[in-house]
Amino acid sequence: MTYDYHEPETVAEALDLMARHGEDAHLVAGATAFTLLWRQGLLRPGHVIGLRRIVGLGGITATDKELVIGATATHREIERSADVARHCPALTRTFASVATVRIRNQATLGGNLAHADPAQDPPPMLMALGAEVVAASAAGERTIALDDLFVDVFTTSLRSDEVLTAIRVPALAPGTHATYLKFLPQTADDYATVSVAATMRFTDDGEVADVRVALGACGPTPVRARSVEDALAGAVPDAARIADAAARVDADIAPFDDVRGSAGYKRDMARVWTERALLSLVEGRA
Amino acid sequence: MKLSHTALVRAPRSRVWKLVTDVPAAARCVPGVAAVTPSGTGKYKGSLLVQLGPVRLVLDGDVALTATDEAAGKASVRADAKDSRLGGTVRATMDLALVDKGEDTELRITSDVRIAGRIGEFGQPVIQRKADQLMTQFAECLARTLA
Repeated sequence: MTYDYHEPETVAEALDLMARHGEDAHLVAGATAFTLLWRQGLLRPGHVIGLRRIVGLGGITATDKELVIGATATHREIERSADVARHCPALTRTFASVATVRIRNQATLGGNLAHADPAQDPPPMLMALGAEVVAASAAGERTIALDDLFVDVFTTSLRSDEVLTAIRVPALAPGTHATYLKFLPQTADDYATVSVAATMRFTDDGEVADVRVALGACGPTPVRARSVEDALAGAVPDAARIADAAARVDADIAPFDDVRGSAGYKRDMARVWTERALLSLVEGRA
Repeated sequence: MKLSHTALVRAPRSRVWKLVTDVPAAARCVPGVAAVTPSGTGKYKGSLLVQLGPVRLVLDGDVALTATDEAAGKASVRADAKDSRLGGTVRATMDLALVDKGEDTELRITSDVRIAGRIGEFGQPVIQRKADQLMTQFAECLARTLA
């Protein structure tokens, strides 16, 4: 089993190759996910288009308004970026928690998002941070909020003629606290059994001014916990209120049974870890 | 793998029966099915495209109506298909039961699906979810067709 490997040097060349080979083409960047699916025999494209040589797709830039992460930036580059750490330390920790250093050195953020495995770490954190992706096609560019990117297991709202080129993370409002918690009952390099990302900002009176919660490994896609957010908006987040809000996560998730636990167990753990994430933000604000 | 699905079709039982036991017509309601052609009494050949993100399965095979009991509203279907490009087979037996619900009909489908080869790599949760989607769309399409 072989395929032709192409290495375009511009996005336009990549789009041209995609148009030429249609469904017989598959895009890769770090190729970590592709290699697994290919070795399992689930993917047999005739043409593989590698994006790593496209200079404009890499790198990380920061302005006062936003952090822009190129699609081919590796997890390790993001984990070690001073710009990312300044923007949001929890984002640095999220990338540091992915798999192993070897994988983080190879896997890219664009590939991670396009692969759309619901148990991956960056998606829920980026959702909680209000990130969006930039998708380029021959027709131009458009942005897709992360909330609208994931459609199903391994399925995104990217069209087959689009390349994901960058991820934009807006600057956090001053005083925003963020965290990412990953429940790993087995090994440190495993996928999460459940994971929870949350951001919270408080008014001077100690009420919740802004809250976003997102979970990974709790259904076919990473998911916003809007019931939890609604239960906290404008509230004074004491322990009882947080416990009540965390219990509402049940309405937002649709986990399934797998080797990391039954659906029922994941529901329980989603509540427990949501509560822990929220408590850590409230306790950390002093 | 045992799967069960229930759907309410807004049409009387006699009309739903006629449609679900007309294999080529019913197959038009399964998303991803390409031309179904007769290959003998109660037997058909057809192909089903199932897409899971970047993975495309093209299941080519045979479908047979193995038993029908109109008075009881029950029918059985056997499907035998393989994906020759990726390598893998799917064998399914499906028991259909139609239950009168006033003006409407409840369609109950219990399936026993055996998957061999690479397709099985996806694991049951993903396959179950895909089957749920297919069945939901199938029932919606039946209802639209009979409206």
